[in-house]
Amino acid sequence: MNITEFLFNILIFPGFLFLLALALGLDWLDRKLIARFQGRVGPPWYQPWADLLKLFAKEDILPAGTNVVFTSLLPLLSFASVMTALFYIPIAFRRVPSFQGDFIVIMFLLSVPSLLYFLAGWATKGVYSIIGGNRSLLQYFSYEVLFLLAISGTIITSNSWSIEGIRQAQFEQGAFILPQIFGFLLALSGLIGKLKRGPLDIPKANSEVIAGPLTEFSGKKLALWILTNELQTVAGLSLLIYCYFGNLWQMNKLSGFLIFSVLLVLMQCLLSAISAMYARLRIDQLIRLNWYLLIPLSLLHNLYLIIK
Amino acid sequence: MSRMVIPIGPQHPLLKEPLSFLLTLEGETVMDSSMRLGYVHRGIEKLAEQRTYVQNVVLTERICGICSHIHTTTYCQAVESLLGLEVPQRGLYIRTLMCELERIHSHLLWMGVLAKNIGLDTIFMYTWRDREIILNVMEEISGGRVSHAVNTIGGVRNDLTKDQMNMLKESLALLRKRVEELLRSIEKERSFKIRTQKVGYLSLDDIKRYCVVGPVARASGMDIDLRRDAPYAVYDQLDFEVPLMFEGDVWARSKIRVLEAVQSIHICEQIINAIPQGPVSVKAPRRVPAGEVVSRSEAPRGEVVYYVRSDGSQNPMRLKVRTPTLTNLVTLPKQLKGLQMADVSVVIAGADLCIACGDR
Repeated sequence: MNITEFLFNILIFPGFLFLLALALGLDWLDRKLIARFQGRVGPPWYQPWADLLKLFAKEDILPAGTNVVFTSLLPLLSFASVMTALFYIPIAFRRVPSFQGDFIVIMFLLSVPSLLYFLAGWATKGVYSIIGGNRSLLQYFSYEVLFLLAISGTIITSNSWSIEGIRQAQFEQGAFILPQIFGFLLALSGLIGKLKRGPLDIPKANSEVIAGPLTEFSGKKLALWILTNELQTVAGLSLLIYCYFGNLWQMNKLSGFLIFSVLLVLMQCLLSAISAMYARLRIDQLIRLNWYLLIPLSLLHNLYLIIK
Repeated sequence: MSRMVIPIGPQHPLLKEPLSFLLTLEGETVMDSSMRLGYVHRGIEKLAEQRTYVQNVVLTERICGICSHIHTTTYCQAVESLLGLEVPQRGLYIRTLMCELERIHSHLLWMGVLAKNIGLDTIFMYTWRDREIILNVMEEISGGRVSHAVNTIGGVRNDLTKDQMNMLKESLALLRKRVEELLRSIEKERSFKIRTQKVGYLSLDDIKRYCVVGPVARASGMDIDLRRDAPYAVYDQLDFEVPLMFEGDVWARSKIRVLEAVQSIHICEQIINAIPQGPVSVKAPRRVPAGEVVSRSEAPRGEVVYYVRSDGSQNPMRLKVRTPTLTNLVTLPKQLKGLQMADVSVVIAGADLCIACGDR
């Protein structure tokens, strides 16, 4: 691999620029769909780009008494960890380096932003930030567990902890989506909590804690946080598609890419519809729902897969 | 766990109007709260003493941005009874029509604010879209979307034309469909119910002790409605029910408001069919004979009381306004205590505060 090809891969396709376009495209789709559901017109396609550019150009203010280095590191680190996770997730037919256990690495890298999000609440010292941070940690301990438990159904069936192994198993046994539709739905609900989307946008509930941990952030740092969240959406959805529709990767590049895009769009539609349909839950209601109903269900599901 | 004091308002996404709370939290639980009022005090009562009776119609309209018509109605009723004026029937019918349109508009607006506060933006968008129908009708009739300037001492300023009546009929039919849909969704939607049921409970005893009025009182089983109990304008000639619920929580308050909106549509339809021909107002003299009078009416939020004292000159000697927000506001510290932080927004929205009314 020569240096130009390397740079092209990192910066343009399937690297930074492609991922940025994908993330902002999905964000636009989300906003447009929710607007249509609510009887509004919705933003033009370039709105997420404009928002991002505007935020990068804005003045960056922090409250007095915060540690500037620490608060600047937080969004950078979370952005970096999501980008690294995306390096290991085979988006759009990219060949990815795979090793035994890389699944755990991905899960860890995808959960780092949630932890840093909590720290952001403490670092900026606002009252709303602290409450939002507490909430995000509570949500982290319920929905991260659910997501991991639900998606590990595919690991149990394919008997491998690597991305490559999950793909191989689906080449042999067919896609996991139909036999494990239940696990897929549980993982999707875990993903909603992980991405802090409505109706589980509890840590950043606008009418309660302004913007949660991000209340005191502005300018470039806020832009990075928002971008991280959008990239997390791409990563989470792609991971779900890969784990449950893995046999797509057998097809030729073009038709596979088309089906991947269609699935991505469909799942984004589902997420948008859910967030437009329901009222925000309270944090105690969320934890009760999660630990009394969803996590036992996903455990039972996994037990069933092991016995089978 | 350490305690934390967090400010809510006067600038906060939760509150659309300036009011300030200081909540003492322990974790997510509200232990204590204090309230501060007066951010939009404009001294309207004192100002009224320096203006003539006719000028005060304009002034009282500015007390509230949502229920502006009910304030002028109550004020004009007070002055008319001091003068001993007989307002023509057609004028009274139009006055009542505007009151009811305003009630639908206010309830839909409130529903949107509550839905927004619990993160259900879809209902917020839908109700505010439907509220637009009412605003268009009111603009068509009076020329104003918020301040209608319909009332004057001795009647109303605008007559209804045939075209306007037809437009009103069509709009009401559309609105009836939309409001019934809204009623279905708040009865069925589970996430809405688990956020609003058993939150902000007020018992019938609390209602009596705090003298709570309006939909909040009716949601706790207090059967009061001035339109039926002490009819003003033409309410004694109209047929309507006063919805009553006994749950006493925010969900009951929201359901009762939607039920009232349905009743208001029913009243408006009756008015269109029954409105008599004739003049809409009579000429009122400038000077008002000495005396004092109390005028009451049922605003969308509850009972509005006006007290007017005249010394025989062109200006009132004293004008006192008691708005429903003020009585409902005092229940908030009780409702807030022991709540989850997330429910604060539900309870504050549930009280349907109009701080501009409360502060005057």
